[in-house]
Amino acid sequence: MLTRLAGGRVIDPANSRDAIGDIFIRDDRIVDAPAGGTVDETYDISNKIVMAGAIDVHSHIAGSNETMGRLVLPELRSPVDGFHPGHFARPAGTWNTFETGCTYAAMGFTTVVEPAVLPHQALQAHLELADIPIIDKATLTVLGNDDFLLNLLRRREGRAAIRDYAAWTLSTSRGLGIKVINAGGAAAFKDNLRVFSLDDEVPEYGVSSRAIVKALQEAVHELRLTHPLHVHCNNLGLAGNVETALATIEAAEHLPLHLAHLQFYGYGKEGPRGFSSAGARLAEAVNAAKSVTIDVGQVMFGQTVTISCDVLRQFNARNRARPKKWVICDGDSNGAGIVPYEYNTADFFNVVQWAVGLELFLLINDPWRVFFTTDHPNGAPFTAYPDILALLMDRDLRAKWMSRLPKEALEVTTLSSIAREYSIVDIAIMTRAAPAKLLGLKDRGHLGVGALADIAVYSPGNDKAAMFREAALVFKSGQLVVRDGTVRHAPIGRTLRADPVCENGIKARMRNYYQERYALSPEFMTVADATIGKPDPFEIVPCLN
Amino acid sequence: MAEAWIRGKSAPLEAAIVEAANIVARSRHPVIAGLGTDVAGARAAVKFARHVGGVVDHMHSDALLRDLDVMREASMMVTTPTEAHVRADFLLLVGPGLIEAWPALPERLFGKRRIIWLCPGAAAVSAGEYKNVAVLGDNPADLPAIVALLRARCAGRPVASAPVALATIDAVAAELKRARFGVAIWSAAELDRLTIEMLCGLVNDLNEGTRFSGLPLASADNAPAVQQVAGWMTGFPLRTGFGRGVPEHDPWRFEASRLIDSGEADCAVWISAYGARRPTWKRDLPLVVLTGNPSTLRTDVTITVGRPGLDHDAVEYLATTGTLAAVSARHPEAAASVASVLGKIITKLPAAPPC
Repeated sequence: MLTRLAGGRVIDPANSRDAIGDIFIRDDRIVDAPAGGTVDETYDISNKIVMAGAIDVHSHIAGSNETMGRLVLPELRSPVDGFHPGHFARPAGTWNTFETGCTYAAMGFTTVVEPAVLPHQALQAHLELADIPIIDKATLTVLGNDDFLLNLLRRREGRAAIRDYAAWTLSTSRGLGIKVINAGGAAAFKDNLRVFSLDDEVPEYGVSSRAIVKALQEAVHELRLTHPLHVHCNNLGLAGNVETALATIEAAEHLPLHLAHLQFYGYGKEGPRGFSSAGARLAEAVNAAKSVTIDVGQVMFGQTVTISCDVLRQFNARNRARPKKWVICDGDSNGAGIVPYEYNTADFFNVVQWAVGLELFLLINDPWRVFFTTDHPNGAPFTAYPDILALLMDRDLRAKWMSRLPKEALEVTTLSSIAREYSIVDIAIMTRAAPAKLLGLKDRGHLGVGALADIAVYSPGNDKAAMFREAALVFKSGQLVVRDGTVRHAPIGRTLRADPVCENGIKARMRNYYQERYALSPEFMTVADATIGKPDPFEIVPCLN
Repeated sequence: MAEAWIRGKSAPLEAAIVEAANIVARSRHPVIAGLGTDVAGARAAVKFARHVGGVVDHMHSDALLRDLDVMREASMMVTTPTEAHVRADFLLLVGPGLIEAWPALPERLFGKRRIIWLCPGAAAVSAGEYKNVAVLGDNPADLPAIVALLRARCAGRPVASAPVALATIDAVAAELKRARFGVAIWSAAELDRLTIEMLCGLVNDLNEGTRFSGLPLASADNAPAVQQVAGWMTGFPLRTGFGRGVPEHDPWRFEASRLIDSGEADCAVWISAYGARRPTWKRDLPLVVLTGNPSTLRTDVTITVGRPGLDHDAVEYLATTGTLAAVSARHPEAAASVASVLGKIITKLPAAPPC
């Protein structure tokens, strides 16, 4: 079966292509124009834009914490009942797995990374991911508050031991990469500490947060994983926390490091409320630190639910829940907190947060190092993406938004002074080419011959948000899945995972450790293909050479 | 080999599947209840309910939703059974039924730590079988008052009267505050909603000064796993219906027994793969039963299925870890699973109406 997408504007920055042309699809791959022979099916996409399917590097879409969010927020404004004054619209973070896959696909997304899977709960995350249709998925395995690692560091066992342990955990939990969330903070909270910063030490272990991050950064590098260590810094959300982010950027040194949802760390202490944007300062530091990549975690206004393994932060934020209910879990390593929240246009702090995100997008010069996220659902649900893309591409639209927001808040930011507009090529880099590179997915994020035929076609127009909300056509692995923003076909996707070399000694050591600490076998963590209940559920992403 | 019966008479599995499909196809409002099954069976049941516009409810939804109600109406701090195992220096056991809910509780958590049990109601505990367990309150009816008194005294508030000596309450309150990582354990099957809410409020209050968390014990028949599956597949807890094309959740509207006894539902599929649990509704209606252990229940179709984790591999909630985990069959049998039987019935049904 040969399919031709004819006459669209092909925007493929990975292959330096931006021209009117054709794309040919055979089975699940992009192929060369055939020398002769017949094309089975042609789509006329003249006057349309064609890009690779978009890739989201950080979106909380599956796992026991997400399902906890679903369970505690049953408030429903159903399409059948219409509005009930006692209820608010259902927070988007609580969508079911089917809605999640279909909504992502309708926007032209074809690969999404669930960035926080605790090793003990990996099986549930993978079961949920398998029930998300159309898109492919990947997970990041969370380390950094686990007793075993903290003990390795306390005992100064050295890099090889940490590397073996990281490989074992990643391989057991079937992750693509490793993430650290408030390194040491959850462990410290169990010992009743309520604040925890980069150079604070975890009680009992005497290990600093910095040492944990550095050790994992090196382990990821030595394991030759495609994705650098993914870091959720300390002090999320606090006034003045830009210092923590700056120190973490500095700590990256020469090795790659990815900082997640940096917007939540872009806060100074200036201004009438002691809360101000430090977005410009932070962007400058990112521009200078070439080994660092970041994603933004843009805030948008409306109801959402924050879901985080940063249990210390969620505990401290619980009394600001909107509506007033929350769940805090002291987990085996990181734990979790579910805190519903509504970002409000009249709220000084929320408006500053919104502006900081946009400042980071607009002041970080290199679209290959800044990634497009809302930290779904924490800053906003992923359905807000089209509106954010429009804000980035249109300074007049930003001015219109700002004219309706409190001046007092905007005055502690630099947003109104920024004229930059993203081009459609910048958008293609940030949402396609760059994330494929960051995750090491060679056959994704571009439209070159041999690439997986994950393709999004958009109808350009003045309303850029509308363009990105409903793709004209979306192909997943060569199959047409979306037409005019409507899902036509919902095939099962796969989950991408790394396959690091696991030294044999570590398996026996982990068995002994689990027996000693928990009086259990670590078998309960196992994620096997047969358990997932779908055919061929995983695809291996090879480690770097 | 799977065994099957149609209206009490032994029948080939294929014939029973066709008859089950006929019964469900004739129904205007089917209920898929019981749901004692593994994760694959729960996934199949939700898919089945979506296909036929039915309702999903679990046999232990009352207890499940009692804990969930506190979570979603008030708030809750919880920990895992494994973290309690390694970290807790103090356990507050609350109310009766704990060892019944989790037989491994003493073995997993009773070792070298200070334990106070409020109103255990169990003879073995009261008789001091567990050496490090101190008991407060002998009548479970006093439990709500005792929990409230502890919360009041922990907060330094005066109280008017108490079913036990105030000095005892104050001594326990002092112990709670002295704990470095305390864990309160209860079984929702035995407590009312307000007592659970009061207890969770106490736990939250204690975190002003120290660390304390909760450990609600899970209901049987894989209820927590089935609840999780419903959560991710529908976006809602159990007691969710697909009658209007989209999932809707309402703990009253979609309670299986109420739907059936009121005459709203006209057909039931009852699933009890772990054993022969029987429905609690009273009305007779067309009934398809998938069970791990056939009983004398009068049914239109009965199909025996394997017991998850015993007769076939399964994914289940483990009380010991508080997670979903794969469990290998202890005595692998060529038994049908709930997932495979529901999957076969679906293929005999008319196509689902477009939503």
